[in-house]
Amino acid sequence: MSLAFDDYGRPYIILRDQGQKKRMKGLEAYKSNILAAKAVANTLSSSLGPKGMDKMLVSPDGDVSVTNDGATIVEKMEIQHPTAKLLVELSQSQDAEIGDGTTGVVVLAGKLLEQALTLLDKGIHPLKISDGFDRACDVAIKHLETISEEIDIQANEHEALIQAACTALGSKVVSKRKRELGKIAVTAVLDVADLARRDVNLDLIKIQTKTGGSVEDTRLISGILIDKDMSHPQMPKEVNDAKICLLTCPFEPPKPKTKHNINISSAEDYKKLYQQEQQYFIDMVNLVKASGANIALCQWGFDDEANHLLLQNELPAVRWVSGTDVELIAMATGARIIPRFQEITPEKLGKAGCVKEVQFGTSNERMLVIENCQCTKAVTILIRGGSQMIVDEAKRSIHDAICVIRNLIKDNRIVYGGGSAELACAIQVLQYADEVSSVEQYAIRSFADALEGIPCCLADNCGLNPITSVAQAKSRQLKENNPRIGIDCMELGTTDMKEQRIYETLSSKKQQIQLATQVVKMILKIDDVIAPDDY
Amino acid sequence: MSQFLQPTILLLREGTDTSQGRAQIVSNINAVQAVADVVKSTLGPRGMDKMIQTGPKVTISNDGATILNLLEVVHPAARVLVDIAKSQDDEVGDGTTSTTLLAAELLKEAKPFIEEGIHPQIVIQGYRKALELALEKLEGFSINISKDSKESKRDTLIKCAQTALNSKLLANTKQFFSELVVSAVEKLDPNILDRDLIGIKNVTGGNITDSFLVDGVAFKKTFSYAGFEQQPKRFENPKICLLNLELELKSEKENAEIRIEKPEEYQSIVDAEWALIYEKLEIIVKAGAQIVLSKLPIGDLATQYFADRNIFCAGRVAQEDLLRVQKATGGQVQTTVNGLNPETFGTCGLFEEVQVGAERYNLFKNCPQSRTATIVLRGGAEQFIQEAERSLNDAIMIVRRCFKANKIVAGGGAIELEISRFLRHYARSVTGKTQYIVNSFAKALEVIPRTIAENAGLNSIEIMNKLRQKHAQGGEEGRWYGVDINGASGVCDTHQSFVWEPTLVKRNALCSATEAACAILSIDETVKNPKSDQDTKMKPKGQPGRPPMGMRR
Repeated sequence: MSLAFDDYGRPYIILRDQGQKKRMKGLEAYKSNILAAKAVANTLSSSLGPKGMDKMLVSPDGDVSVTNDGATIVEKMEIQHPTAKLLVELSQSQDAEIGDGTTGVVVLAGKLLEQALTLLDKGIHPLKISDGFDRACDVAIKHLETISEEIDIQANEHEALIQAACTALGSKVVSKRKRELGKIAVTAVLDVADLARRDVNLDLIKIQTKTGGSVEDTRLISGILIDKDMSHPQMPKEVNDAKICLLTCPFEPPKPKTKHNINISSAEDYKKLYQQEQQYFIDMVNLVKASGANIALCQWGFDDEANHLLLQNELPAVRWVSGTDVELIAMATGARIIPRFQEITPEKLGKAGCVKEVQFGTSNERMLVIENCQCTKAVTILIRGGSQMIVDEAKRSIHDAICVIRNLIKDNRIVYGGGSAELACAIQVLQYADEVSSVEQYAIRSFADALEGIPCCLADNCGLNPITSVAQAKSRQLKENNPRIGIDCMELGTTDMKEQRIYETLSSKKQQIQLATQVVKMILKIDDVIAPDDY
Repeated sequence: MSQFLQPTILLLREGTDTSQGRAQIVSNINAVQAVADVVKSTLGPRGMDKMIQTGPKVTISNDGATILNLLEVVHPAARVLVDIAKSQDDEVGDGTTSTTLLAAELLKEAKPFIEEGIHPQIVIQGYRKALELALEKLEGFSINISKDSKESKRDTLIKCAQTALNSKLLANTKQFFSELVVSAVEKLDPNILDRDLIGIKNVTGGNITDSFLVDGVAFKKTFSYAGFEQQPKRFENPKICLLNLELELKSEKENAEIRIEKPEEYQSIVDAEWALIYEKLEIIVKAGAQIVLSKLPIGDLATQYFADRNIFCAGRVAQEDLLRVQKATGGQVQTTVNGLNPETFGTCGLFEEVQVGAERYNLFKNCPQSRTATIVLRGGAEQFIQEAERSLNDAIMIVRRCFKANKIVAGGGAIELEISRFLRHYARSVTGKTQYIVNSFAKALEVIPRTIAENAGLNSIEIMNKLRQKHAQGGEEGRWYGVDINGASGVCDTHQSFVWEPTLVKRNALCSATEAACAILSIDETVKNPKSDQDTKMKPKGQPGRPPMGMRR
């Protein structure tokens, strides 16, 4: 930071470690902020759209991940620059709220900043620019609402939902199987959705990954999959008409929580103690057995003694089931979680059609599947794939698709994708710009240009000529007054996105535009950066 | 001379930096200027934000007190500015930037006098006199709103909140937020207006206008054990039991030890422990509670027990949240369940667990004796929400103050100019040096409208001339003319364009700025001890450009 001098030429020390701080002011600050943020957006722009490319990211530990998901990319890039970090948060906040469109939001913010930079060079006050953007944003959002269409999510076996899921999956590595995966996602969400309240608790959908097989082997289990096996290899691998006993106490003699000591003074006492312990085991198993349960799942472990007894009594059991799994199983099977053996009653048992151990490939890994549960309110999607990277990416993609479906259940309005919605908004904003008499006009016009940047970027990523295709789409939108004309990314021969059935949720699009504008406004308002000098 | 014969007397530790005399005052004034310059550009509706990075944390703010705090000012005189900004923040919550600027400007005006050899105490006396007059006038000019009807008072409060939000990131949605803030404050007990009872919760994601006010309490889902999802998540008119009690299977006393003689006794101890917790749970259920909240953990056993009986529970609720639930629902926090009776239960119109962004929130709505409110803030980035929270905090404080004080003045620099005009007029009637000083005070006040105009990119000299001319007309006519950042002429009647501020903010700003200026003027010597050796070793690069020791003036 520059030093201040007094009238005698003596420098001041005003701030702590003043010499090590860097300060940027005014135009210099704007430009450095914008350039940093733009750099992030540029990295992501090639990932946009159905033909977007993936990024390979290597973590400090050497773990490699390959992904197309905007939020994941920026998160793993470990960005240091404070302004660029804002974009990272932007992407993550889109992820948290909507779950989809994380790349689009960053690209849009980047385009807006690019436009802001040229406006700054023209000498327009940054706050005027942000005012203009804000007004343009309002116009765009209003227009989005007018061009949005309500879809019937129930019709034709939830066809609309599947299409929307396909759009979300279209840009991912699993796009080949988007239809199958889309269906899986839709069924999963509908199974757990509370349609009356239009609420979906995503915690109830468990996504389990397992390397091996191919993506086609991915399937939905209308029940629960847990990464555990039977406690004893000789126990039966399959239990039909299972009555499940869910225990949160170990198969062990009970221990008081209070610190205790047992003093044994004679051999007799010792024997008694041993017998008592044995009695506990027998009692426990008997209690479980007596209730009619034919399988026991336990949150804790049990010693070999108990294991042996369970085997002898033909009671298959699973140990060390995690707390969240216990909860999911309880929800799915209608079981009550039982905290101690004395409380086991037949009513508290959960019922499932089948509990079986499945083995994958040639590996020794086994998992436990609980199917046909009494009240299926929890489901599991088992993702398979050739390598860990593919499985991980498929998991992220399915998460995106699930989020899209959830959003549609919450709000069933859609807009059409392929850049058509952005183009339509751009046209509307441009019209509005001419009505504004003040300096903001320029900013509003630039906002429209930035919106056009999205279809441009899409076309570019698909190997089309961006200028020609965007110009064509735009003129057709105007001529036919049809806001559904977009970029024909898949080269299907039509640019009408309704025919291509590229659905995007209105809430996601709205959110993208609003969030991007918000962050750009924030960056434009910073005229002074004070930071340690070393970055 | 005799000094050749005298041995040197070492009075202070080696390396101690002392500076004194008039030069010291001037140097302090300059340091203050440098600090005030940093916050200068944040003033007014076109004020900009600062981005300050401290370690890995980045803060983006427009709030004077926050910025000064993060700058880590070490200069002793300049620290005074940080302190007054903080005290303004604590006392009224808003106007921190203007206080800082005013103090710096007062010192700047005093500088020529000091350089010309006027005794600092005379300057101080003059400033004190001017302040006294200014405060008197401020009271005279302020508009009393206490007699207004309820609706128009609400309207006034909204206007004040809007003025406070004008310069912040939320400026474009100020209408929305000012109403939010006023509704929140109105919920409070009008006699106490406890700020702590308005909760602000931040959830990233969503648009800023997705923020909402809960006329009751909202808090994030607490850590839950297995079985939680089986509990009902929605109640109408529930009975809410508030506890400060751990509902878990645990040893009743730390360090207690049990000696058991016979193995048979073992089971009885185990049973006793279970009986203890079951007894507690049973009492709660019997009393008819439907929602159980506890400050301390509610274990998995209790969670499942409640789930079985269709009761909702949440453990580890934060102290302030529990307090607000208590206020909102009229319940009482119990530390034991013995003698639990339904009278201590609170109730609310609707309880619900909802998804907000990526989080699940517990909402207690339509509370009968709602004396508390919660604002759930949404927004794109973490920093954005944090700044929004600071801005709302300012607005809440302003509305609170206004609610109490019932007096407002017009902002946009109007009141400062009016006082300035009055002081200039008054100065002519005094004899002696005070005349100059009062005049300087009047001139210093003009820094507020001038900076607002400068920040907005307007021609400040032209604007100031227009404003002075308007105010010079005197009377009601030109009194409330201030800077207009939107219009073509640059000036307007800010009272009519609803730029309103509580008188209290201005009063406190004037007082603390003058106090700070006087304090700095009265310092004529600084003795600064050297840093301890250890510290110097750790920061070898520290303090470059520091003059070598002994280089005295």
